This record gives sequence, structure tokens and C-alpha cells, in this order.
Amino acid sequence: MLEHAKLAWLLPKRAQLHHKQARANVPVFGIGTDMAGGGSFDTFPKLLLRNAAQFGARPAFRHKDLGIWQTWTWAEVAALVRAYAAGLHRLGLQPGDTIAVVGSNRPKLYWTMMAAQALRAIPVPVYSDAVADELAFVLAHAESKLVAAQDQEQVDKILSVSDRLSHLNRIVYDDPRGLDDYDDSRLIAIGEVIEDGRAALAANVALGARIDEFVREGDGFDIATILYTSGTTGASKGVILSTRGCIDAATDTVRFDRLTADDVVFAYLPLAWVGDHYLNYVQGLVAGFCTACPESSETIEQDRREIGPSFYFAPPRGFEAMLTRVMIRMEDAAPIKRRMFNYFLGIARRYGESILIGNSVPLSGRLLYALGRLLVYEPLKNVLGLSRVRVAYTAGEAIGPDLFAFYRSIGLNLKQLYGQTEAFLYVTCQPDGEIYSDTVGPAAPNVDIRVTESGEVQFRSPGMFVGYFKDQAKTEETMTPDGYVKTGDAGFFDKKTGHLRIIDRAKDVGRLADGTIFAPKYLENKLKFFPNIGEAVVYGDSTEFVCAILNIDPVAVANWAERNNIAYGSYQELAGHPLVYDVVAKDVAEVNRSLAGEKVLAGAQIRRFLILHKELDADDGELTRTQKVRRRFIAERYAPLVTALYNGSHEADISTEVTFEDGRKGTIAARVKIYDMQATGSAESLGKAA
Amino acid sequence: MRAPDSSEVLLDVERVSLAFGGVKALRGVSLNIRKGEIRAIIGPNGAGKTSMLNVINGFYHPDQGAITFKGRTRARMRPFESARGGIARTFQNVALFKGMSALDNIMAGRTLKMRRGLLWQMLRYGPAQAEEVEHRRRVEEIIDFLEIEAIRKVPVARLPYGLQKRVELGRALAMEPDLLLLDEPMAGMNLEEKEDMSRFIIDVNNHYGTTIALIEHDMAVVMDLSHRVAVLDHGLKIADGTPDEVKKDQAVIDAYLGVAH
Amino acid sequence: MIALGQFLEVLIGGLMSGVLYSLVALGFVLIFKASGVFNFAQGAMVLLAGLALVRALDLLMANGFPFWAAIVLGIGFGAAIMATTAWLIERFVIGPLVNQDALTLFMSTIGATFIIEGAAEMIFGSDVYPLRLFPTDAWFVLEGLFPGGILVNKLDVWGGVIAGTLVAGLAIFFQWTKIGRALRAVADDHLAAQSVGIPISRIWFVVWLVAGLVALVAAIVWGTKLGVQFSITFLALKALPVLIIGGLTSIPGAIAGGLIVGAGEKIAEVFLGPSIGGGIEYWFAYVLALAVLLVRPQGLFGERIIERI
Repeated sequence: MLEHAKLAWLLPKRAQLHHKQARANVPVFGIGTDMAGGGSFDTFPKLLLRNAAQFGARPAFRHKDLGIWQTWTWAEVAALVRAYAAGLHRLGLQPGDTIAVVGSNRPKLYWTMMAAQALRAIPVPVYSDAVADELAFVLAHAESKLVAAQDQEQVDKILSVSDRLSHLNRIVYDDPRGLDDYDDSRLIAIGEVIEDGRAALAANVALGARIDEFVREGDGFDIATILYTSGTTGASKGVILSTRGCIDAATDTVRFDRLTADDVVFAYLPLAWVGDHYLNYVQGLVAGFCTACPESSETIEQDRREIGPSFYFAPPRGFEAMLTRVMIRMEDAAPIKRRMFNYFLGIARRYGESILIGNSVPLSGRLLYALGRLLVYEPLKNVLGLSRVRVAYTAGEAIGPDLFAFYRSIGLNLKQLYGQTEAFLYVTCQPDGEIYSDTVGPAAPNVDIRVTESGEVQFRSPGMFVGYFKDQAKTEETMTPDGYVKTGDAGFFDKKTGHLRIIDRAKDVGRLADGTIFAPKYLENKLKFFPNIGEAVVYGDSTEFVCAILNIDPVAVANWAERNNIAYGSYQELAGHPLVYDVVAKDVAEVNRSLAGEKVLAGAQIRRFLILHKELDADDGELTRTQKVRRRFIAERYAPLVTALYNGSHEADISTEVTFEDGRKGTIAARVKIYDMQATGSAESLGKAA
Repeated sequence: MRAPDSSEVLLDVERVSLAFGGVKALRGVSLNIRKGEIRAIIGPNGAGKTSMLNVINGFYHPDQGAITFKGRTRARMRPFESARGGIARTFQNVALFKGMSALDNIMAGRTLKMRRGLLWQMLRYGPAQAEEVEHRRRVEEIIDFLEIEAIRKVPVARLPYGLQKRVELGRALAMEPDLLLLDEPMAGMNLEEKEDMSRFIIDVNNHYGTTIALIEHDMAVVMDLSHRVAVLDHGLKIADGTPDEVKKDQAVIDAYLGVAH
Repeated sequence: MIALGQFLEVLIGGLMSGVLYSLVALGFVLIFKASGVFNFAQGAMVLLAGLALVRALDLLMANGFPFWAAIVLGIGFGAAIMATTAWLIERFVIGPLVNQDALTLFMSTIGATFIIEGAAEMIFGSDVYPLRLFPTDAWFVLEGLFPGGILVNKLDVWGGVIAGTLVAGLAIFFQWTKIGRALRAVADDHLAAQSVGIPISRIWFVVWLVAGLVALVAAIVWGTKLGVQFSITFLALKALPVLIIGGLTSIPGAIAGGLIVGAGEKIAEVFLGPSIGGGIEYWFAYVLALAVLLVRPQGLFGERIIERI
């Protein structure tokens, strides 16, 4: 149990100072006419009450269920959450207790967080696709007394490891399907808890007063939530975020992006991920906008189209997937449509960015662009569900310059941000008017950034974390004595724009045997910019040359195979096909050419590569839950392949154990081919040859 | 597996024989189906299983014998009479309305439940509209139950086989039948799809209390799912009992191994 | 100016007759849309309807009934005959063949054709019976714009209006009402429709009845134009290119196809005739249909059949 008093000693002295300074003269809420200034709304429950008072009739949550969009207004949500809090209180939830929340984006799970915070308890969201062991680790580490699970699948997982969870005494669930027959006494439906709370509040005035007292007593030092990061190395750590920090940070960014209660966001990314928690949950409470939850993970595209969010976030692969789908369908369209599409995309390429940022554009350009908007860009954005998006962000990895330019050229205000869980997301974000594809932007409001001599990026921000839960050692490792957080990323400030540019994880940057800098992520991103390549892992530190293990993108390559009449019976067959190798080799050659042009990196060209017979998967531990590659783990798991890459073999056998979706294990064996690539000479030597 | 609540007999097949020209599809077969149970009918190829289902359903009329359903015996019954009587059916080769979406296919299953006549529905008369909304809600519940929200608007001809089978199951469920006949519901599915379908079948039996008769080849599935099993071979019933009993029956083992008799 | 005037005259005349073709094609589309059966007997049904009507009319007029009463009763009688025919066809021709494939059902309608034609002539006689339900004289319009005005046949105008109303009504019927779903189900898969409890026999009866009524209307219009006689059955042949061009499953397609065929053949006859030689009117429609088959086999408005292999 963690009382808020403990929070004080976890918070390094300097950070406390920073908090106070940052908040000194800035009014907390001054955005638009919808927010009343004054009054202290320093906790989430207080924000909820404010929203119910100020925009009580506006939609707060939407969820598509049974084919139609159900809506709850702020007033309804406030009442529901109060009843829910009463119910949870009666189930024994105390201030300082943790309650885990596991499932996909559903209103009832978000309300669980609100109800917990109303009682000054701490919600701990967990990834819904975590396997039972991961779940057990988090729940045990966080000492959760309660768990809110979305459905039978999650409940089954919890029950299967409940013997390891000594603290757990209640499981509340959202979707009752399949749970009717379960006779575990700990199980109770969230609907029932809310009803029970409602009835109890009606019968007992003192209970209501107690709940209101909890809310009143809450303050900024309460722990808002503990988010467990999926580590690319090592076990998960619980990042403690303070209420004050969260609200301050969100207030800044809500102002930065001018978000109001009229906006609508689409909550489809994992709710355990800091991005979803920040962008949807916290910003939603601060700004008062509506959070829409999709019907299921398979209906995301349709639902997004129907909702038409005004603010949107997707990782670069999400934007890439959308574009790939569009391109594939365009290939099937009538020739005249295709010509029109390509022509107007060219127009967009020429004038789009300028028009978006308000530069001067010749009249003919404007007219053509307007025509293009009517015929191509708006219908395209409509199909993707992005028609009403005012601000879109992407982050998490580098985005291909072409992809970035494409979306901006058709009028989508796509920007980049950079951050991490320890920052409570935002470290940098690009303001309108300063958008570049290869930077992540200047510091976010009230954030200080510095780059150490060794090239590591460090920051200090209003939203920064307080510490790692039950891990003082790691906390001290990650924070500097003067209150900055070490991000562990290598980066530098771009001289031209003043923006931050991230190269790679600091500890991953190495050198080849000949001294060439080896920044694996940089190379991997370059490879992944090509639609055919879905995932890439490169190796080269302290070796002679750089090698790559690649995954083909199943959608793009399957489409290509269909058009070129290539038959295949499985992903493995497709991945091993010689013609596919040739196509991928062309992309690798392109990357090499671009590397050759950069003096510092010319030696880091990819000499050998192989296409892996199976897709890298988080369930197999090869990727983190946020789809980042775990290089060391992959190197160990596929050691025979890495050996073969470096000893000159042209093929290698590999047999690996895999985990199926239901948790069962099996083995996959393959003989993987390895291709050699010609290194392109550097610009200088080319110049000489010519 | 939860045992069925009652031992009340819902369907009784008495000494039914059916022949097509020289081929004797069914030879004096008797079996019954109890209310609330999952009854499997198994047997090697050509044993007469689909013929049995067709006879129950009214597509074939037996040469001899009688069928008693919910206490009423009838000699000849037309398919839509059996549907009206509360028997719903899926087909081996998936008989969906190919040009219609999954949603429309399942809505078609509500036809018999529509109280207002076709004429009122045509004119979109008030009560008919309200009824339409209610039907749509039921259908959406089925869609939710079968987890096919993502494809509700897709024309079924474009769906993969496994999903088509699920839509067909949905359409049968929309009829709120007393007896559900499933003809090889798992044919052509991979392991994951089979598990999903098994789960749905069990859920239908548990949740809605529907009596289910199914024909299936996958032994493991049959043994796991059903309360009782009847084994046919060359038109004769050679065993009848719980899965365990049937598994050990020598005649059954012989039949499957192809021992001549 | 003269050429334009002439062109307009030919065009309007062609469009009008096109609408009349649509009327016949409509019967085919209805039945096909609702049962998946191509009804070879549609032409015979037009004949039957026409004969019933005209003979009843003559009989009633001969017995002193006033014109309007005779028409109403005559149409009523025609409708009753078509209803009986629909019932008989459902009961004895296609009903027993439910669940058979489309070709079998089609052949049964060929058989039905002969029976209907024979029965019609046996009962009602095989002469040519003129029908005088509305004026058939010519009408000159737009005399101000074009010297002499444009010749428009009043019959064609009447026919156009009637056909247009009928078609609009049917289109609305199919688009808006829910009966569309049951009909599409029946057209799609008989087995499935039966097992879902859709009363196929009842639906087929209704559909053939409606097609019969459409045939009655077609008979009225064409009968006035050509007189009710055996050769009216050949209208069915003219409807084929209309169906191919417009698509066999589309009501708007039947209209569009009819208009295209009607206008096309008249214009081709008048303007191309002198160069190529006469008689284009006879084969133009079929050549056009052939061309459409090559380029877009489902017709302009028909549904593309996508089958998953």
C-alpha cells in the first residue's frame, strides 16, 4: 500500500522545486471560453466534476455496441463514476490501493480508473494482449487488490495465475459473455458494482458524503497511476506518475493543440500505453472532449470512419498500413481513376505542404489543389476516416519522409512528437509551422532538454515521473542528481531548425570494426521505410560489416505476389521465395545507396541479409508490446542465423519454439537463405570512377 | 460438459427407411434426441448421416417409418413447415444467400418470427417498423455472440469459408429454433477455427438451451462436444450411447477400420 | 434546323417505342429478380392477357355495357385470368421443380409457353383483335421551333406515361420495402430460403401475378398499337436485347436498355439506313446486345457476379 506521504520522499528535491517553479505564474486553465478559470482542479475526480458542471450535456464517451454508437454525457459519467466509486469502496478499495485494469478500450475500464482515483486509489493499466505470466508479474508487483478485466479471456488469464497473486481478492469484469457459469466468488460484473453503489448511495447519505470527502481530500501529490513499461531489455518497471504532473503536462499540451470540449478522439491504441492514457484519458478530462471506443479490434477502420475524430494519433506503421491499403485498392481501380489519382497526388506533392502551412502559392496551384481536394484528397481522407482531423501526431519510431510528406500534402496536419513513459509522454512536439520529417521537434511546453557529451538526451518536464515503483535503485540510475531524466536515447539538436533529432537508443549505438558509427535503429528505419519491409533488425557492433534480419510486410508483399502470379501456401513460403528476395534486395540496395552518400555512414552499408521465415511477434518476446525490436533477444533466439550471416554461409537451418495465440507452444523449422549485397562505393570513390 | 436438464424426448425417429433407386440410404433407423442435449450422428462416409438430417428436416420423405417432433407425428413434411415447427439447419456446403450481406442473411432467419404479414412490412407500417427494430437488435446480439461485427456488411460470397459457416450458424440461431441441425459444421476448418466453432456450439447449447444434432467427422470434436452419439454405417445404426461407450464399441471400431460385415 | 427537327422526331419516336420495349422486359426482370427463373413464357403471357381483355371488352360492349364500365370490367377480367395463370404455373410448372437448377426451370417455362399460347387461342380465338383504348393519332408539337412541328404519336405518349408510372412504382416497391429481402433470398438460393421458413410457393405466386399484371399493361399498350394477335408473343424476342443491355436483374436497367434499343434502332434506321441498306431496325438491337456482352456481360446495370472459388 502506498500512501501519498511516501510520495514525497520518492520525489527528488530538485524535481519538486521544478514543479513549483513551473506552475508559479501560469493560470491552470485558460483555454477558450469553455473552461472557467479559477478554482483548483488539481485531481482527476475534480476535473470530472467540473466537466459535469460545465459541459454536462456534451458527450464524454462513445462506444459502438450491438451495431450502434452508445453515448454517455459528462453528467452521466460523473454520476456513474460516483456510484461506481461507492461500489468499489464497498468492495474494500482503500486510498493508496492499486487496482489493475486489463482489457481493450472500453468506457467501463476508463470509468474504473476514474472511480479508483475518486477514492484516491491507483489504477494500474495492463496490456490486454499480455500473456498470463506477464500479467501475473505486474499484478503481483503492484500488489493489486482488485482487477478490472474486460471479458472472459482476461478473466481466464487472471484466474490461471491467481495462485501467484496473494493480494488479489476481487475481479470485476465488463463484458459478462461466457462468465455466467463461473462460480468464483471473487468475480462480479462492473454493471453490478455500479448498481450496488447507486443503491447504497440512495439508501445511505453518509456513504455519499464519504465519497465526496475522498474527492475533496485528494490533491496533486496523489499518485495518479502506475504505468508499467514494456522494456526492450529486462523486466517491466512500474512508472509512478503524480496527479499534479499529469494534469499540468496535459494542460500545456491541450493549450498547445487548442483542444476543446468539441473535439473527438478515437481510442484504439492499448490503454496500458502511456500514449493512450495521456492523449485520450488525461487530455479528455482536462479539455472535456469525447473519447470514442471502437466495437472490436477488427472494426477499427470502419469505426474510425464513422466517428470522424478531430485529433488522431497513430504510430508510423499505422499510417503506412493505411496508405498501403489505399494504394492496393487504387491498383484495382479503372485506369482513368488511377490517372486522376496520380496526377492530383503530384499536385499535392508540389503545393500541399505550402498550402497547409500558409505559404504563398501561385493561383493556378491553388485552383488545381482545390480541384484535387474535391476529387481526390477529401474522398481519400474520408475513406481513411481522417476528414475531420485537425491535428494528427505520430511517434515511436522514425517515419519515412515520403510517407510523412504524403499525408501532409493532402492536408492532414501530421506532426511528430517524442517522449517516453517516464516523461508521461511529451518531451518534444512540433508546433504548426515547424514541421520536418526528420526531427521530433523542439521541447514541449515547459520542458527542458539537454544533450550530454556522450550524446544522451535528458529532460525535465512537468509531467515527468516520480520514480519506479518499489525500485529505488533503478530510479536513481535513471535520474540525474539535478533532477533530469536520462532517456537512454542518443540524439542531437539540429543546427538548422533547432529541433531535436533522435538517432537511436544510446546503448545500442556502437561501432564497426573499422570505426564506422553503427546506429542500428537509424538503419532499421531506413529499411522499414520501404513498404515491402515490415520489420528489420540489424547487427554490426564490433563486427566487420552490417547484417540484417528482415520481415516482409505480409500485406504489401502478398499483393505484389498476386499481381506477379507468384503462388505460395504460407507466410513462410512467401518469405522464402527467391523473387521476393530479389524485390527486397532492391530495397536494401537503395538503402545502401543512400548510406553511401553520407560520409560518416558509408561503411555501415548492409552487406548480407536474410528474410526471416516467421513474423517477429511480441507474444514470442521478440518485440515489446509497443512493437519495438528486442535485438539481443532476437540474436540469442536466432543465433544459428546470425552465425551464418557472419560466416559467409548462403543458407542456414533454424528451428524455434513459438507460442500460439491461446498460449500453447509449438516449433517452426526452416531453411533460410542469405543474400549478399554489393556495397555501393562512397560518393568520393564514385566520383573517382566516373 | 453440463448434462441436459431433462430426459424429455424432443425428436423421435422410428424405424425410418429411405432408398434412392437401388441405394438404401437408411435401413430402419431409430434414434431419439432429448431436449437440451447435443447429439452427434457419426459414421463413415456414405453411412446415411446427411440423409438422416434431410429426413428430419423434411427435404426427403422416408419410405417407411415416422418422425415425431414435439409430440406430433407426421408422415410428410415440407421444409418450410419444419422450419416453422422450430427446426433450423445448416448445410454441408453452406447455403447462404450469396448476394446478400452477412447481416441480411441473418435477418432473413428472422422471417418466421415476423408477426406482421408481408404486406404490412412492405408498407413500413408503424408497428412493423418497431418490430423491425426489435429483430435488428436480436440479430445484432447474435452478431455480437458470434464475433462477426467486422463483416456484417460484407456480401457473404466474399467471406472466407470459416466465416461463412459462422454466418450460416447465425442465421439458424436467428430462427430461435427448438432443434438445431448442423451438417458438418467444422468441415474445412483449421484447428483454431474448430475451437471457435466448438465454443460457439457449446455456448448456444448452454446459453440458449437449444437442442443440437450435429454430423461431424472429427472424432475429437464429437467426443468433446456431445452428450450422446449415434453411429450409422451403411444405413444401419450400429451404436448409440455416450461418447465413452461408443468409443469402445467393437462394431464402431470395425466400421471405421473398414472391416467387412 | 430541319435536320435537327427530324432528328428529334426520330429520337422521340424511338424513345417512346423504347419505353414500350421496357414494359415487356420488365416482366422478365421481375420474375428473374424474384425467383431466379428466366420466364420464356412472358411473351405468351402478354398474348393471353391481351386476348382475355379484348375478348371481354368486345363481349361486354356487344351486350350494351358503356365504354368505361366495359374497360374496368375487362381489365378486371384480364387480371383475374393472369392471377389464375400465376397460380397454375406455381402449382404445376415451377412449384414441383423447386430446388432444381435454373436451366431446368427455364425449360419448364418453355413448355408453359406452348401451353399458354395454345390455351389462349383455343379459349379466346386466334384472329387479330383491334384494341381501341386510347387515341392513336399523331400530334404535332413544337411547331414554333421547327417548321411543321415534330410528329409525336399520341399512343406512344400514353404508353410512355403508363410504362413510366409502372416502372417507377415497381422500382420504389423493390427499393424501399422489405419484401425485397425475401425475394432476393428466394432468387438466390431456394434450399436456404426454404430452410429459413420463407414460403417460396406463396412468393412465387405473388411474383408471377405481378409479372402477369405487367404483361396485361404491356398487352394494352402494344395491343392498341399492333392489335392483339399471335405475333405479339414475338415481343419477347425484342425484349432480349433490352435485357442483355440493361442487365437481367435491374429494373432501371430494363428502362435504360429499352430506351437505348428503341432510340438506337430508329436512329440507325433513318440515318444509317441509306448508306448501309435498309432493314437495320431488325438487327441493330441484337448487334448492340452482342457488343455489350463482349464488354460488360452483366449489362449496364446488372450485378457483377463475384464468386469465390
